[in-house]
Amino acid sequence: MKRSDLTGVGLFVLAAAAILLLPRFVSDFRAQQFAYVGIYFIALLGLNVLTGYTGLISLGHGAFMAIGGYTTAILVSDQGLKLGSHTFSADVKDIWTIPLAGLVAGLIGFAFGFPALRLTGLYLALATFAIAVAMPGLLKYDRFEQFTGGGGGINLFESDARTRPLETTDPITFETVAEPIRFLGVEISSFNEWLYYLSWALALVMLAIAWFLLRGRTGRSFRAIRDSELAAASSGVNLATYKTLAFGISAFYAGVAGSLLAIATTFVNPDTYPITLSIFLLVGVVVGGLGSLWPLVFGAIFIQFLPLWAQEVSKAQGAPAVVYGVILILVMIMLPGGAAGLIRRLHSLTSRGYHRGR
Amino acid sequence: MRRPRLLLAVLALAGVIATCATAATSADPGITTKTILIGGTTPLSGTASAYASVARGANAYFKYVNARGGVNGRTINYKTVDDGYDPAKTVQATRQLVEQDKVFAIFNSLGTEHNVATRDYLNAARVPQLFVASGATTFGRDFKEYPWTIGFQPSYRAEGWIYGKYLARAKPGAKVGVLVQNDDYGKDLLAGLKQGIARSKVKVVAAQPFEVTAPDVQSQISKLKASGANVLALFATPRHAIQGYVFANRLAWRPLIINNAVSSASNIMALASEGGANKAVENSVSIVFLKDPTDVKWRNDAAVRLYRSIMSRHAKGANQKDVYHVYGMAVAYEFVKVLRAAGKNPTRAGVMLQTRKLNDPSNPFLLPGLTIKTSATERFPIEQALLQRWSKGSWKSFGGLWGYRAG
Repeated sequence: MKRSDLTGVGLFVLAAAAILLLPRFVSDFRAQQFAYVGIYFIALLGLNVLTGYTGLISLGHGAFMAIGGYTTAILVSDQGLKLGSHTFSADVKDIWTIPLAGLVAGLIGFAFGFPALRLTGLYLALATFAIAVAMPGLLKYDRFEQFTGGGGGINLFESDARTRPLETTDPITFETVAEPIRFLGVEISSFNEWLYYLSWALALVMLAIAWFLLRGRTGRSFRAIRDSELAAASSGVNLATYKTLAFGISAFYAGVAGSLLAIATTFVNPDTYPITLSIFLLVGVVVGGLGSLWPLVFGAIFIQFLPLWAQEVSKAQGAPAVVYGVILILVMIMLPGGAAGLIRRLHSLTSRGYHRGR
Repeated sequence: MRRPRLLLAVLALAGVIATCATAATSADPGITTKTILIGGTTPLSGTASAYASVARGANAYFKYVNARGGVNGRTINYKTVDDGYDPAKTVQATRQLVEQDKVFAIFNSLGTEHNVATRDYLNAARVPQLFVASGATTFGRDFKEYPWTIGFQPSYRAEGWIYGKYLARAKPGAKVGVLVQNDDYGKDLLAGLKQGIARSKVKVVAAQPFEVTAPDVQSQISKLKASGANVLALFATPRHAIQGYVFANRLAWRPLIINNAVSSASNIMALASEGGANKAVENSVSIVFLKDPTDVKWRNDAAVRLYRSIMSRHAKGANQKDVYHVYGMAVAYEFVKVLRAAGKNPTRAGVMLQTRKLNDPSNPFLLPGLTIKTSATERFPIEQALLQRWSKGSWKSFGGLWGYRAG
């Protein structure tokens, strides 16, 4: 292992410990907000595989998240999930739809990679934007309404025991007592905390997968395509394979994130994956740093918290959007490389002359 | 390595919760002897940010009530959170209000899907979801399943029904073309219209749906014209309703236009009339249940004067012609009334109980003669409205009150 790999593993362990302990120091509600940060982080990891590493811009990742979210919603609410005669118990049912949601989105993303082969740069961005625009219409389309619930969407609340009131009346003392959630034998004190651990456990796994994937041959091919398609092709990188692969992986991540978003929100409808979501994801990747992995956490924090902070500044009509825009412009002027760029700069300040070879 | 630590922590937490549970008094969250905190979501940004005026008007009224001593010595704090009209954000924001800010009730949150998305959660947590700012029928109809939820404005079904009844009476034999937004709101209105014209000579000859995300409705309008309709019903939110007027005018089509209340605010009508150039706007019909501050009829009305003075004192700089502010005041007035009726020490359940027996013929911001009424079996607070006609730059109401009767 290289020295940088060891630091990476060390940081990973530290991050895991910090994530494990965070809910002890923040309120239950904050844990829920950080759960959303985890969800966005997963989506950003996927988008960065495509945009940051392979150089393909996608303005349609919200649509892949919608595919993931609806996969989970349809499986959980309507049919339930059955494998042969075995039915999953309620407390894990939605969990098993997450990888499925990722796979469905991944396959569609992979398929989308083929037409994308002919498009580059801005043209590809427009094509992906078209999916984001078309998705709400598709979800509302009459023929699909029996699956998607049309504009009204699908409510997941009823089907999830964990979101029910977390208290029962004690039969002896007649006092209301908190009833903890059981998940795989472990008791968790609230839905929010469960959500937090679920999304961050997945986020760490997805981070590790992305890291392994990108440090080897695949990652090298991706970067080669980004830097020069011509040079990559002449060095023996199969452009078709790697471009579609990048799309597939990226959409898989988006599908997982979308599925988690559906579970967290307990509701999906076409408006829960709006066009602006796709744009915010791209903003998150740029703020986190193109071609970076863990600094994307800052991008995810940006997406989750900036709209909330913007409201604190002013509640006048339309003002939050203006504040958001101004802050975004300032961030881009001061940190053109995103959070990752800042970290690299700080790093080179502390250890002069040492530069990582990325 | 992870599980035991987690278990320990969970056990510790469970202990804390258990002690809290026994120490807790009967008082509900969000209420003290001096204050009551309520909250709601509203679109301050995004496509629907024009509706932010509703919350602004309500807030101004609460400030006015607070300045006069509040309700039973309590000041009302009304916290609004922006959801950008995205239901996923509404869910997060509502949880924030309930779990972090610990509001007593969710009040006047805006949007149909947005309130549907939070309804299960609020009912499970037994938090009142008061006076939902949406006319979707489900909020009044499904009270057995959702006892903690209640609407306010006339349901879209009732509104559509009134248009149907009006056409049956005033324009027998009318052929109606409907521009309908492809969601529950649009479908509710259309269903109401069909119910209203049942057993009459009026026919719906065409219904053209469109997506709320659609850039324009030009093709829908030309198809409606081609259908031979002589009445055009615009069941659309402001942007598309304005387009409906503009395209009808360009096609030199002059049907009687029915414009739903969602898009009939005077400032929207003024936009649709393109500075007086668009004559298709003239003689449009819509329903009204509020005192429109631009209607000359209410120029010297005491409530409208009060509205103006509250706005200039507590919502400086806001456009006083915006009827959504009046909506906000009307709903805030009713909340104050409910809170007062709930007694010296209101509980969440007590407030809900009051919303089940509303009988208020005197909400000053609503049209005179209109009664807010609910009962154990009937949960649509406002079911009456007047019809109004757009003429020479303003709405003028005509005829008597129409009251919706289901079936």
